[in-house]
Amino acid sequence: MSAHPTLASVIRSEWIKFRSVRSSIMGVAITFVLTIGIGALITASIRTHWTSHPEAHIGFDPVTTSLGGTLFAQFAVGVIGALFVTSEYSSGSIRATLAATPRRVEVVLAKLAVLVVSLLLVSEVAVFVTFLMGQAIYSGVVPTASLSNPTVLRAVLFGGLYLTLLGVLGMALGWLLRQSAACISVFTSLILVLPIVTFLLPSSWQNTISRFEPSTLGQSMESVSPPAHAFSAGAALLVLSLYAVVLMGAAATALTRRDA
Amino acid sequence: MIAIEHLTKRYRKTVAVDDLDLVVEPGVVTGFLGPNGSGKSTTMRVIMGLDRPTRGRATVNGRPYHDLRDPLREVGALLEAKAVNPGRSARNHLRALAASNKIPFSRVDEVLEFVGLASVATKRVGEFSLGMSQRLGIAGALLGDPGVLLFDEPVNGLDPEGIRWIRDLFRSLAGEGRTVFVSSHLMSEMAVTADQIIVIGKGHLITQGSVSDLTAAAKGSVVVRGSDRERLERALRAAGATVEVVNDDALRVGELAAEAVGQLAFDEGVVLFELTPERASLEEVYMALTAGATEYGSGPS
Repeated sequence: MSAHPTLASVIRSEWIKFRSVRSSIMGVAITFVLTIGIGALITASIRTHWTSHPEAHIGFDPVTTSLGGTLFAQFAVGVIGALFVTSEYSSGSIRATLAATPRRVEVVLAKLAVLVVSLLLVSEVAVFVTFLMGQAIYSGVVPTASLSNPTVLRAVLFGGLYLTLLGVLGMALGWLLRQSAACISVFTSLILVLPIVTFLLPSSWQNTISRFEPSTLGQSMESVSPPAHAFSAGAALLVLSLYAVVLMGAAATALTRRDA
Repeated sequence: MIAIEHLTKRYRKTVAVDDLDLVVEPGVVTGFLGPNGSGKSTTMRVIMGLDRPTRGRATVNGRPYHDLRDPLREVGALLEAKAVNPGRSARNHLRALAASNKIPFSRVDEVLEFVGLASVATKRVGEFSLGMSQRLGIAGALLGDPGVLLFDEPVNGLDPEGIRWIRDLFRSLAGEGRTVFVSSHLMSEMAVTADQIIVIGKGHLITQGSVSDLTAAAKGSVVVRGSDRERLERALRAAGATVEVVNDDALRVGELAAEAVGQLAFDEGVVLFELTPERASLEEVYMALTAGATEYGSGPS
């Protein structure tokens, strides 16, 4: 009757952990507030200044602008992913976790499953709400977009995927670095500092390198027409997923090789 | 049963455990003693599959920890009391552990009741005292009703009532035929708790045996006081005894039994005022055994 702890029971265990601490609940709430709140601020501001700034009308994208809050929410999801792992190291509960599930890859997979499902739900709800709210704010003054347009639907849908994948990157960093502070600095550097460093390079390099940066991949994924020199939305999703897979693979390898 | 064979664990350049062999039998409380830094916790972490041995192996019921199915049902451990996410409630902490090993949630409430934490089950663990955290750790160890139990320094932070409770718990667990392996750096604690004692120092096995074996093996001494200290001292030394002057008229004699000391005094015509055999306490045995094996010794005083 004592069967091997299947992945399902480990996932159940991780789900209990995820929902039973304030940091996850707060993280989810902050993701909503940032995505929707900042989205509302941006769209309302554009509506107010629309008629006085005709130069901004060229190439205006009602989808990307309404999803502007994801630029801020990406840090919240990164922190959710990282803390889900690093909190186990800072408290020492990782030992209890690994003693209960000595096949460590199962712990990696279970935490990943719980994170992906939770973030997918949260992020998709957040991006669709902020998109619809943004279009409602624009309506009558600023051109709007509709979900009946498949490209628009893709951009919004990918916005949620972008946030989810960034959460996974945060989690992978959590396994690799084990420390909340280190994780958050590295994550922030990847998103914020990398583009600044690239900006200092010769423009031919910029064009080649910047498309690989997570934030540029996000722009490709969330816009109706991707920025110049960037990947198409589909390719961007693929590249970002590849990052997530490679980093999670490294995380699983590190966990199985290191002492707890 | 826990078996450790030729276990060596090296962290970078420090050797925490060096070619250690030991067997922990079921049905008794086995004390695992050693000064701080002697390798007790490392050994326990290797047993639990948390740290990978550099050489050798540790098995529980004949299998490496990694190969156990639903390990919490076979091995329960209290390694660090405070190793729980402070934001989680006691019940949720145990439920997460229970879920991973398919242990029913009803068992969570049972063990919380058993360790006396039922009334604070929904309280955040961060608000617990060290004693309460120890009890939660013990609840976690008992969760899967395992046959093998490991406790690393379980007495830390417990009040006297808690200490008595935990001693009784170890006795009854061992009485049920379980393997109970308890580490401590305090001999006085183990002397009253354990049946078998394993002493390590600097990662080496120093000695093992029952509490009575260890004290019996220790050399005692005899305190003697007589009418002529100097004559007695000369005679004792001539007989090969070690003699230490305690005060003006008393001597502490080693390497010679009380009967022989009395006979010698009689032969020398010394009137005896006192003849007291002194047996070394387990504490002294331990201090003698681990002298030189302490990582940060305080030096001779």
